[in-house]
Amino acid sequence: MRAACALYLLYLLAVATAAAQERSFLACPIVRDTKTAPCFLAEYEGELYYLGIQQDINADFHPPQLKHEVLVEGRVEKGPRVCGGIPLKPLAISVIKEVNPACNTLLPAEPGIEAPPAGQGGPASHRPIAEPWPAEESLAGRQEFTLLFAFDDDFVDFGSIAILRRAAGYALKIGASAVKVNGYRATSLLSNGQRLVEKPGLAKKRAQEIATLLEGLGVNGVAAEWKDDPEPGDGNADPSHRRVTITVIP
Amino acid sequence: MIMQRAFLLLAIPTFLLAQYQGAHAPWIEPGSKEMLPAFDEFDNFLGKLGVLYASGPVDTTGHPFFTPLGSNGRACVNCHQPTYGMSVSTDGLQERWRATDGKDPVFAAFDGSNCPDLPQKQEKSHSLLLNRGLFRIPLPWPPRNADGSPKAVEFSIEVVRDPAGCNLSPIYGLKSAHPTVSVYRRPRPAANLKYVISGAQSIVLKTGLPADRDPETGHFVSMNLMTDAREPTLTAQALDAIMGHEEAHETPSRKQLDAIIEFESQVYAAEVEHIFAGPLIDRDGPFGLGPVALRDGRPGVPGDNGFAPVFGVFNAWKGRDYYRKSIARGADIFMSRQFWIRDVAHINSIGLGNPVKGTCATCHSAQMTGQASSAGWVDVGTTNYPTWTEPDTFTEAADLPVFKITCRPDADPHPYLGRVIYTTDPGRALISGRCADVGSIVMQQLRGLAARAPYFANGSAKNLREVVDFYDRRFDMKLTDTEKDDLVNFLGVL
Repeated sequence: MRAACALYLLYLLAVATAAAQERSFLACPIVRDTKTAPCFLAEYEGELYYLGIQQDINADFHPPQLKHEVLVEGRVEKGPRVCGGIPLKPLAISVIKEVNPACNTLLPAEPGIEAPPAGQGGPASHRPIAEPWPAEESLAGRQEFTLLFAFDDDFVDFGSIAILRRAAGYALKIGASAVKVNGYRATSLLSNGQRLVEKPGLAKKRAQEIATLLEGLGVNGVAAEWKDDPEPGDGNADPSHRRVTITVIP
Repeated sequence: MIMQRAFLLLAIPTFLLAQYQGAHAPWIEPGSKEMLPAFDEFDNFLGKLGVLYASGPVDTTGHPFFTPLGSNGRACVNCHQPTYGMSVSTDGLQERWRATDGKDPVFAAFDGSNCPDLPQKQEKSHSLLLNRGLFRIPLPWPPRNADGSPKAVEFSIEVVRDPAGCNLSPIYGLKSAHPTVSVYRRPRPAANLKYVISGAQSIVLKTGLPADRDPETGHFVSMNLMTDAREPTLTAQALDAIMGHEEAHETPSRKQLDAIIEFESQVYAAEVEHIFAGPLIDRDGPFGLGPVALRDGRPGVPGDNGFAPVFGVFNAWKGRDYYRKSIARGADIFMSRQFWIRDVAHINSIGLGNPVKGTCATCHSAQMTGQASSAGWVDVGTTNYPTWTEPDTFTEAADLPVFKITCRPDADPHPYLGRVIYTTDPGRALISGRCADVGSIVMQQLRGLAARAPYFANGSAKNLREVVDFYDRRFDMKLTDTEKDDLVNFLGVL
């Protein structure tokens, strides 16, 4: 009995510790210049968090924007500070659409504060903006592809275009009998307990846009559906709920 | 050195005047019957422009590019003159007004005047064309889908100021029987077009939306044609121009359209000589200069890198004469001088972040032309308040219309200007109906600039120095006077 209680307490402690590592907050981004690439940071409850640096458009990280608040959803990563901030990984960044002129902090470079080296979110590599096309791969059977979106956004970014084209390429390759597109909108549970819900109609808009893009790539038999009830937020996996799934059926 | 520079600065205006007055600047009239040589040179303020017809000499007799196909006496050549880099300059237009007492068809009431219902004999009725090189572009409101149905738009538009008188005109205005928004724009060069139409992608990276298609082939198009990318192909653009600018009542034949496209597609125009630096084409020089390089170049190559820069490597010029060194320094500034690029819709807003530490070549990245490497409409701020090119746009002295755009609450706002925007030209938004596109203009090619002032789509920069001054002001580049001179010299040889 005592052992069971101890285990339960350990479990609660682990859950509490994990939750303590989650960060979900709205803030004005801060841009910190460096000798190489600018760093993007955000402050929450007196602590500075490192979000990433300026990179090419085809990089995984898309920095936030001055003149806009940013929704930061991530988990504290162990290790040294980067650009003066605590790193978060995984991390999702959403630029809030409405303009906020107060978000305007641009800090000069300072000795000792450096951007991470190339290859670790380092300076832009000047890779050409080539249209992503699926690599040869051996997919088979029914396949589901998931495209993630920023909060309250239906913009299909460079990374999502790559997934979309993989899905289209696969559907064309196997001569899919049907392609189902399902759109969702979601809730984000912030660290302060506030819930942010994506705007009504967004699930439909996301689904229809992706269906249109698939059709534009030559895919037939595309059917779009959507669930307008927002997915609930848990402060943990919320970014993964802002999505469109593409199901390719042989 | 200071004395040398002072002497040159004093000497330049006199030299330029003599050079320009001595220049022969032919104006090809519609219906002309002449043989254009395969390569021709034309004097301009900064040197000589070379125009290369890659297919050989051109007989203009009966050629549809040079022949009026509509009702107002105009032909394509009216606004796309070889002398002016296959566009037209205000110097050329003013000279034409004087020579013809305003009767040249280029001044046609439909779009060569500020508004067709103005007294056409008066010079002031053509002020936007004569002073800025702007033609009226009447666009339907709301915008139309390809099938002619009205497009759903994200904003309302009001006319705040209408110095030209057309947007409030009961016949031609926004509240007329055929609601129309009149904007005023420079004609783009009908040259080097293989670069302009290259780079088609299925999805527009700037919007995440499907790219337009060629209605004839079904292929995706670059969406880099025209100020607002409203026409997908050269054929569609030519047809639009003939039915609009030439006021044709009958559709041109397929053969005529094909002949126009065939002609346009083999014209290359670029500077070949600088008044002080001399001939620009030499063995050790940069690979990108001159029309032959444009003919031989490969479109779709990104140039925002150190090994194959947008217009080539100018290092060989760094140890030579004063002006070549200046041009080379200008090239270095263009490629390497970093500044904060901020609040540019469709640059900062597409995932790069705001601000971005970049250079001129970050945006003007396509090799040989300096256009965008993908569909290229951006709002650099030339037409939107508060960064628009002329601070006095709200005053009585201003000559451009001002519109107030109000975005619907359920639409995404403009990324940096919000939901209420004052603009002299909503740009791409008049085609897409999207708030985020207000003020976005398709990036232009940077070739033959010396031949075709004024600059920007609204003709607001009378010379290249004013272009550089705008960017210096807009992005707080902190350029010194010498750096500005270097950039001007560099842009002047493209």
